[in-house]
Amino acid sequence: MNQVSATLSSAVALGTPLVLAAMGGLVNKRGGIVNIGLEGKMLTGAFVAVLVAWKVGDPWLATLCAGWAGAAVAVPFTLVITRLNANEIIVGLGFNVLVAGLIGYLLPVAFGVYGSLNPSNLPGLPELTIPLLDRVPVLKALSGQTILTYLALASVPATAWFLSSTTAGIRLRAAGENLAAARSAGIDPLGWRDTSTVIAGLFAGLAGAQLSIGIVNLFTVGMTAGRGYIALAAFYFGAARPWPTAAAAFLFALVDAIQVRLPGNDLPPQVGDMLPYVAVLAALITVAIARKRRERLLGAL
Amino acid sequence: MEAGTAVQQPLPRLTAGSAAAVARILLPFLSALALGAVVLWLSGRDALHVYWLLAQHSLGDRTSLANTLAQTTPVLLTGLATAFAFRAGVFNIGVEGSLYLGAFAAAWLGFTFVHLAGPLLIAAALAFAGLAGALFALAPAVLKTRLDVDEVVTTLMFNFIAIGLTSYLVNGPYLATGTANSMSPLVANQGSLPILAAPSQLTIGILIALGTTILYWLVFARTTAGYELRTVGQTRRFAAASGISTARSIMIAFLGSGFIGGIAGGIQILGVNHRFIDHFSPGYGFTGIAVALLGRNTALGCLLAALFFGALANGGATVQLFTNIPLELINVLQGTVMIFAVVELGRARRGA
Repeated sequence: MNQVSATLSSAVALGTPLVLAAMGGLVNKRGGIVNIGLEGKMLTGAFVAVLVAWKVGDPWLATLCAGWAGAAVAVPFTLVITRLNANEIIVGLGFNVLVAGLIGYLLPVAFGVYGSLNPSNLPGLPELTIPLLDRVPVLKALSGQTILTYLALASVPATAWFLSSTTAGIRLRAAGENLAAARSAGIDPLGWRDTSTVIAGLFAGLAGAQLSIGIVNLFTVGMTAGRGYIALAAFYFGAARPWPTAAAAFLFALVDAIQVRLPGNDLPPQVGDMLPYVAVLAALITVAIARKRRERLLGAL
Repeated sequence: MEAGTAVQQPLPRLTAGSAAAVARILLPFLSALALGAVVLWLSGRDALHVYWLLAQHSLGDRTSLANTLAQTTPVLLTGLATAFAFRAGVFNIGVEGSLYLGAFAAAWLGFTFVHLAGPLLIAAALAFAGLAGALFALAPAVLKTRLDVDEVVTTLMFNFIAIGLTSYLVNGPYLATGTANSMSPLVANQGSLPILAAPSQLTIGILIALGTTILYWLVFARTTAGYELRTVGQTRRFAAASGISTARSIMIAFLGSGFIGGIAGGIQILGVNHRFIDHFSPGYGFTGIAVALLGRNTALGCLLAALFFGALANGGATVQLFTNIPLELINVLQGTVMIFAVVELGRARRGA
């Protein structure tokens, strides 16, 4: 494999957790909650995936359990927000600190290791080769990926369809836009908000599995490395629409992969690390300026 | 999102009928200790004994008390920085970023102007740190006041940019020669903050932090600017109707918050690290959010909350050393405090 296709392939692998988490965060945002806790849910998924793969030996079951674990921790998270009126931003930040603390505490107490869990012969998710596709230039980066990559790819149109064309999706969006209006239309808005958070937890948990048993075969406490926040940047950049969000997530992953893979590039790694955050700020500023201009034009009429 | 009202929870008056108010203050504190106890108990530890050890190793004798105060210093300042913004209804979660830029600014001045006399060097470095922190807060402030861009997302993103930027500076142009990666040159010797109580790490930084606490109290209790900030925090419409410039107040809230955050970083460098180290903060800015929330944005509240977290950080490190109880337990407590500090019991559900 030459440099370019290796870089692309690595971008697809790295983009998978970002797309998954961003889709979850997007559904949550449309359901009315800004989920800062994606990072913690991803870390939970990554940890549970390694644990199950190690103890049971089945990476498929491990992936399922990672998704469930992400969804499970999302339940108390969302109830505190919707039923106890806690501020979602603070709860998200606190949740991330709490999860990292719990897992960091558990590692030495239960397994006698600090910071990382690296069992020998850990069964990872197999890389699936797609016949024919693996011979097409460029597109062959999509072959030889884990099941989660194909799930991430499928999740983009699925999310778009779910939000725009299903009753559940429309109710979820109604709950996200206006609690009172949704309630008067006979929708249980808080229930739908909770549902959207649980979906986000499921997606973030799967994203974690890709990190720990998809890309590398171990768990470290720092392995999410701010990817929950990059996913947040992606769906803010994509204005909570599935295709632009996925495109942003993939772009961030591509820059990440180029940094790691291409030798001799003069770009300091910190500059690439900052890119998602600069990009989302630029997007927010552009939208705000456009809005101001529109308001001024309307005012001039 | 009307973020201001969600974090604007002033200390309620403690009258006979305010049992609920007391409960609201104690809830985060007690639920954190309870969850910590469950975690300890599940891992086969005697929670009461561990808490007793924590108290002993953080408050038991003169040196451990001094070390607790040393750990209190950064989180008291980041707590006040956060509270300063929260009080005005400005949801600045970018204090961590201000802390990083302030820290770098102080270190830069300290290793560049090595011939300045000690007191002058320290004063200049801290002033520069504050300015850097405030300058950093200027960007989200302008975006908020001019373009009405929600500060929650911008300040969160700016944090990562500050950490990335300082990381670039210290790995690139300002990497100290002949050292391991990611460190700036050392600050000139005379630029170290004087130690108050050897053998502890307690420096005059704590005095600056306590002075800032008193100043914070004075501003909100005695000055017109403080009154305006509070009013803007409580109801923007009422403030505007009574002739207060909300844009100006929001700007002051951001700049003040950033300035204090920058000072926090500067003190950490001059007092503890003596050089800028990449990713040096274990999340002081985020602990500051917990401090502001637990302290209900009041001066006394922040002081008590900062002491609590300072004691945990100091006691936790010692307890980890002697009993093998992982330091991460403290993050469990801190995360729980943050979550339960924003829970609103028995309140009507907010509409959206």
